[in-house]
Amino acid sequence: MASSSNKPELIVNGRRLDGRGFDELRTIKIVASPLKNAAGSAYIEWGNNKILAAVYGPREATPRHFAESTRAIIKCRYAMAPFSGLSEHGRSGPNRRAIEIAKVTKEVFENVVMLNEYPGSQIDLFIEVLQSDGGTRAAGITAAAVAFAASGIPMRDLPYAVSVGRIGDEVALDFTMIEDNYADSDMPMAIAPRNNDVLLLQMDGKLTREQLSKAVSMAIGAGKGISEIQKNALREAYERSSK
Amino acid sequence: MRIVIPGEVVAERPERMENTYIQEGRTYAKVLGMYDSNGRGIIPLEGAWMPRSDDTVVGIVSEVRNKVYVIDLSYFGRSLLIPGKYEEYSFSVGDVIEARIKEVENRPTIILSEAKPLSEGTVMSVKPRKVLRIIGKKNTMVNQIAGFTKTSIIVGLNGLIWLRGGDIGLASEAIRRVEREAHVSGLTETIRRYLEEKTGTKREMETG
Amino acid sequence: MDAIDTVTRNHVRDIIKGGRRLDGRGLTDFRNIRIETGLIQNAEGSAQVDIGNTRVLAGVKLDVDEPMEDTPDQGNLIMSAELLPLASEKYETGPPSPDAIEFARVVDRGIRHGECFDLKSLFIEEGKVWGLFVDLYVLNYDGNLFDAGLLAAMSAIAGTRIPKYVNGKADREDRTARLSIRNMVSSATFAKIGKSIVLDPSGDEEKAADCRLTIATDGETVRAMQKGGMGAFTQKEIDELIGVSLNKHSGLKDMMTRAQV
Repeated sequence: MASSSNKPELIVNGRRLDGRGFDELRTIKIVASPLKNAAGSAYIEWGNNKILAAVYGPREATPRHFAESTRAIIKCRYAMAPFSGLSEHGRSGPNRRAIEIAKVTKEVFENVVMLNEYPGSQIDLFIEVLQSDGGTRAAGITAAAVAFAASGIPMRDLPYAVSVGRIGDEVALDFTMIEDNYADSDMPMAIAPRNNDVLLLQMDGKLTREQLSKAVSMAIGAGKGISEIQKNALREAYERSSK
Repeated sequence: MRIVIPGEVVAERPERMENTYIQEGRTYAKVLGMYDSNGRGIIPLEGAWMPRSDDTVVGIVSEVRNKVYVIDLSYFGRSLLIPGKYEEYSFSVGDVIEARIKEVENRPTIILSEAKPLSEGTVMSVKPRKVLRIIGKKNTMVNQIAGFTKTSIIVGLNGLIWLRGGDIGLASEAIRRVEREAHVSGLTETIRRYLEEKTGTKREMETG
Repeated sequence: MDAIDTVTRNHVRDIIKGGRRLDGRGLTDFRNIRIETGLIQNAEGSAQVDIGNTRVLAGVKLDVDEPMEDTPDQGNLIMSAELLPLASEKYETGPPSPDAIEFARVVDRGIRHGECFDLKSLFIEEGKVWGLFVDLYVLNYDGNLFDAGLLAAMSAIAGTRIPKYVNGKADREDRTARLSIRNMVSSATFAKIGKSIVLDPSGDEEKAADCRLTIATDGETVRAMQKGGMGAFTQKEIDELIGVSLNKHSGLKDMMTRAQV
């Protein structure tokens, strides 16, 4: 987190910099199956984030000794395009942050995907951030869930993700890049909406137990809207192709 | 019929149906599919092929070992053809075959039998979940495509389709269209009109 | 090569003998081309190009950079390409493959030797220049990356806006100055399959090809070329293909111009 000396005001007259209320999401748009070669794919615009997710497989596990005889394995790559940020040209390929995100993302889908249906195989999930503005891991997971469903791989649920946290005294939802940089706490979560199981939970900063409880409720509350957008994207993919 | 999404409740009580799972007394969809409310289950819209005994498949010989052929079925598991003593045919690498699944051993190994060569022609790959639609009820869809285009077509349940002769371009275009629009009703009729139009236009061009 | 690729290869070669292509195109027809610019607002320039099912996204970034020792009055052009694993089951994660590096270098030569913009216009002050980074992101592969890549790079560069230079840094809040474009280039890529030559090979046609030739032009002169693959072209063939490339340029240039917002 940046030093407080150049910290911008994140809340002006009770509103956030982009005019949102504390429990308000940015605009989310999802298109299912935009990519032809992948088994399943999704494109998400979440505020100014623009992200592609694609699923390949089940296919032969490589190297072969990575295969598990009783279930499929999932491999995940998450990477930011060098032109994705509003700052300097980035390095290409995953850095340490990206590798950690790929790991926790993979674990989200290991929970919901019915891996026992394809023993011995490998399923690949690729998340490419084309433009970033805070909350890319949440947006990436939300898109990845649609890509998995569009691939036809059996899953128990369609998870979504969103970040919550604290700005000053206020618990708030879905941080932009600037909020993310200067907020007092940030907590990305992935949730299975069927029973509100928490599948990803990371947090930094400082929250009281009460604030944390409020933040989790806020994430779950926002989830209904996110889930609906995910489902509509899947339905629209078939309505679109019937025209 | 309606589209269901993984995790969606399809029955408030436990019911054994294809492509669903039961938890805490309710029945949930586990794949993206069309739910038939008459209770017969969910027809998946996408997904990998699940090999079963007696499935007809199209494959390509990828390796010839001592008394065993390794067959590429475009599937993540291995598939083997072990010829019997009086086997009619012998194959080389690159040969296209039609065969039947004898058994699926603790997946992912498939044992094939009754292999026949499919000489010349080509192989196209389609999404396995669309294969039944490409075949059609009592083979109506594949027969009409073969009839209009004069192409010999063998559809493997694994998603590989062999085509030879006639207007292969039009045949594969028609198959792609069925693949894209598999969930749309009245498709046999749509494809018939499409093929009529295409082959009709062609005849005019040839005579004109 | 997979077993199925070999069957496809043989089939493509068979039907091309009859002068036909898998998708029914004429030998010197492009597939449908679609160009969209400005998708990535965080970048200084961007363009996404579809040729058939091939999709390439180009993003441009301008960073304050140091000039090369031998060209102290010029900015730097740095072209990279990634064959993303989400674009094809054949692409793998990891460092850039030789194919990706060749792809980036061929597009680089088209832009650089097409003199599309003056590198001197990227000079800021003594010891400071703009580094113009172009990243080619392959999002879906179905053959002919080179033409899609050059269309994407050219379109992204043509729409690039230069950040204001303030106290040694780029101020990206203020990006009003346009990069001045001197020349537009495009390329035409051909695949030789047996005795036939086709423009804009699809993925299946590339599997069947003996060799390929990319010719970048500005409609008047040839600016960059790259031959790839084991096979060979005759002098006469090369001459004819240059003719086709020169002819294709004006249509492609119009598309790029129309795509500018």
